[in-house]
Amino acid sequence: MFVRSRAKLLVSVIALTLLVLIVVACAAPATPPPAATSAPAATSAPAPAATKPPAPTSAPTQAAGPKRGGKVTWAVWQSPITLNNLLGTQTVMGDILSLVQEGMSEVGPDGARIPVLAKEIPTVQNGGVSADGKTITWKLKEGLVYSDGKPVTCADFQFTLQATMTPGVGVVSTTGYSDIDKVECPDPNTVVLKFKNFYAPYLALFSEDLIPKHAAGDPKDMAKWDFNRKPLGTGPFKVDEWQADSFITLSRNPNYREKDKPYLDQIVVRIVPSSEVAMQLLSSGEVDIMWNNTEADFPLLEKMAGVKTSEPLQIGGERLFLNMAENKDPSDPKKPHPILSDVKVRQAIEYGINKQRIIEKLLFGKAKPGTNEINAGFFQCANFKPRGFDVAQAKKLLDETGWVPGSDGIRVSKGSKTAPDGTRLRLKYATTSGNKLREDSQVLIVEDMKAIGVELYIENAPSSVVIGSWDAGSPRRHGNFDIIMYTTNASIDPHSQMMNLFYSKNIPSEANKGGVNYTRFNDPKVDELLEKAGSDPDQNKRRDLYCQVVAMGQETTNMIYLYQRLKIDSYRDRLLGWVPNAWDSPAWNAELWSLK
Amino acid sequence: MTQYILRRIIQAIPLLLVISFSVFLLMNLIPGGPLAAYENNPNITPEDLARLKTELGLDAPIHVRYWNWLTAVVRGDWGISQITRRPALTEIAEKLPNTLYLSLIAFFFALIISLPIGIISATRQYSWFDHFATTVAFIGQSMPVFWFGLVLIIIFNATLKHPNGGPFLPGGGMFTIGADFSLDDRLSHLILPASVLTFFSLGTHIRYMRAGMLDVLHQDYIRTAYAKGQHERAVLLNHALKNSVLPLVTIIGLEIPGLFAGAVITETIFSWPGMGRLFFNSIERGDYAVMMGILMMSATLIVAFGLITDIVYAFLDPRIRFD
Repeated sequence: MFVRSRAKLLVSVIALTLLVLIVVACAAPATPPPAATSAPAATSAPAPAATKPPAPTSAPTQAAGPKRGGKVTWAVWQSPITLNNLLGTQTVMGDILSLVQEGMSEVGPDGARIPVLAKEIPTVQNGGVSADGKTITWKLKEGLVYSDGKPVTCADFQFTLQATMTPGVGVVSTTGYSDIDKVECPDPNTVVLKFKNFYAPYLALFSEDLIPKHAAGDPKDMAKWDFNRKPLGTGPFKVDEWQADSFITLSRNPNYREKDKPYLDQIVVRIVPSSEVAMQLLSSGEVDIMWNNTEADFPLLEKMAGVKTSEPLQIGGERLFLNMAENKDPSDPKKPHPILSDVKVRQAIEYGINKQRIIEKLLFGKAKPGTNEINAGFFQCANFKPRGFDVAQAKKLLDETGWVPGSDGIRVSKGSKTAPDGTRLRLKYATTSGNKLREDSQVLIVEDMKAIGVELYIENAPSSVVIGSWDAGSPRRHGNFDIIMYTTNASIDPHSQMMNLFYSKNIPSEANKGGVNYTRFNDPKVDELLEKAGSDPDQNKRRDLYCQVVAMGQETTNMIYLYQRLKIDSYRDRLLGWVPNAWDSPAWNAELWSLK
Repeated sequence: MTQYILRRIIQAIPLLLVISFSVFLLMNLIPGGPLAAYENNPNITPEDLARLKTELGLDAPIHVRYWNWLTAVVRGDWGISQITRRPALTEIAEKLPNTLYLSLIAFFFALIISLPIGIISATRQYSWFDHFATTVAFIGQSMPVFWFGLVLIIIFNATLKHPNGGPFLPGGGMFTIGADFSLDDRLSHLILPASVLTFFSLGTHIRYMRAGMLDVLHQDYIRTAYAKGQHERAVLLNHALKNSVLPLVTIIGLEIPGLFAGAVITETIFSWPGMGRLFFNSIERGDYAVMMGILMMSATLIVAFGLITDIVYAFLDPRIRFD
């Protein structure tokens, strides 16, 4: 009995030791490991691309042009939920899809539209846009085919519209498409959009989500389409395999319309949920691109050998929403806020905030002070003068409007037009809890405000509460707040954002639960300008109109723009051809990517 | 015994019903929901949101939605994810094998390492080995998993180089993407996450094994066994071991359902597509169907393993009787 037990024990100890040894040994495989990301040059490079000169945007290499072949691994921390543009809004989905699908046009780094499937961008001048703006004619390039070789025709645009407007399948957004009456196809290469109502950002329609009729299915079964997991398009790459929460592999589209492109053979999108880990993988070279960095990554990124950063400036940014109506649940927009309804108080708050200090202390100097809603792109105003940091001016304005310093330095009303005498200048300051950058910037802003005699007290809530719906009791909708801070960005066409934030009919109320004009901004002149801008097919005229609204917004100071951030991605320097573009996916020009 | 088991199974049904209803209720009380991601998107109009609410079946009152869910589940339909639009069961079935593969291996190693260490620690109480083992156990239990995992990646991926020039060990994933299946490749991806998980549960297991053994060693029957002149090893293996593992069995019975639920932090650090991340994501996105599926699976497993633990008790300790 005893002997047997001892033998058993011995055997198990030996087995254990062996197992440990095996596992350790396997860590250093004797056999050559499978081709990793650092695959050598010897890939299946076809004939040299001698006939065509290198694309102007690609990084300069040898005179022979970019090298062909190779694989690039792209780490993203967000896990895509679908690859059907109609069923999701995730940034990561759009960024990956830009490798696969294309639309009529795309937005280049300078914020101007570049034709992609279209021959040119329709305008009133070239006859592509009718005088009333309700008929838009797109001409497709000749001989376009999908990655499976089937031709792109106008019927696919008809189908895309039909799919978008199918009720009951959970299409996320029908904005703009719901204004289209029908798509007419005079010939397979001409797409004519007939609108019921004029839709100002008409150029944005069909710019990313063309669904090939033959590869999808019955729109009523959209949720079950294979296409959702394996989309098909005209882009430089095609999806080979998607393992949820793990990776998506894409390979070269052999039928891509530009000869010799794309240069790479393969792109692997790897889902690395921890950005700390993604940084290490970038450093070790296991991945070539890291998606969506933050400013806090800069100290580490700058120390990494062989790593570059892409940092174009994004539109929009973090801002304070000042509630100009009473702070009540629900708020009556006609009743003024006892403190914030005074324009001089609002302006004083902006003068008193040291935006540059927030940028230096919290954003590693890598941001720009906020200016206005349209701070980048085609619709940006050329002659906008931002308000600077001026403590003396802030104090002067508050003195003038009847807020005088009390015994502890915080101001109290003495002759203010909006509040009874003796009212303390004290405001609630909310943002989404758990966001370190926001919480740290609150500390700085509270300090700045104290210096001009304004007391802010912080009361934060989870983002699902702050940015919630009317029915969920969100304070920004109900109007029971003084100051709320978060970020929102306009699209390249700022129409919907401007309507949301400045149009008086969008003030939220019980009768208008979906309203998004949270500051309760109400100016009939602005309403008129916005309506004009939303009904004029001439883009230049629209820009002038939005500029006027932006200027009036600054005068009113219903929002205080704090900082405008960079869109940061990082990549290893063996990847050539990268062109930063804040308006699109980091992979927007992946057909020009190549390896050193 | 059979009657006892049957009774326990029948008792479990109302329990699971109560659990499912409370969970459903709690889940709907979490602010957010499947549409929260669209609330701050300037391109999604209020009309779109109202339409989606109807299309995704979120506008019905909660008791109606619970009833719909329950009647569907009884028929074997776990619902469609409101986020990915795929069947909840598909989502779970896709991730469960990945999680079991990692967690069972870690569990197995934790067990076979901790048993002998715990026994030796107890019999040589206060020896240098005991101090060493207790310290290691303590470190394993108290070291934050995300920190330990990241440190391993920094050492074995970002710093140490493999002779072929690449990183010494892969920094995540289950295998090299696009490569053919190879055991080397699988194991090299497994070693870091499995080590983290093993080290973590090692601590608990060693401490329970040691405490259980110490407890038994002070019993009269052990002294009797020694008095009969039996050798120490015989006393330990024949008399003490079976009784001393009772506390450990309880812990293991509680741990096994957890193996199915996955380890969210380890899976996040090592990019492992498992159940922990699926559950975490489904909470974050308000994916009710998937959340309910995972929670009900866990609840059922906990109830089942509670029963199994009790049966194992009776087997290990004949004094325990269920009538």
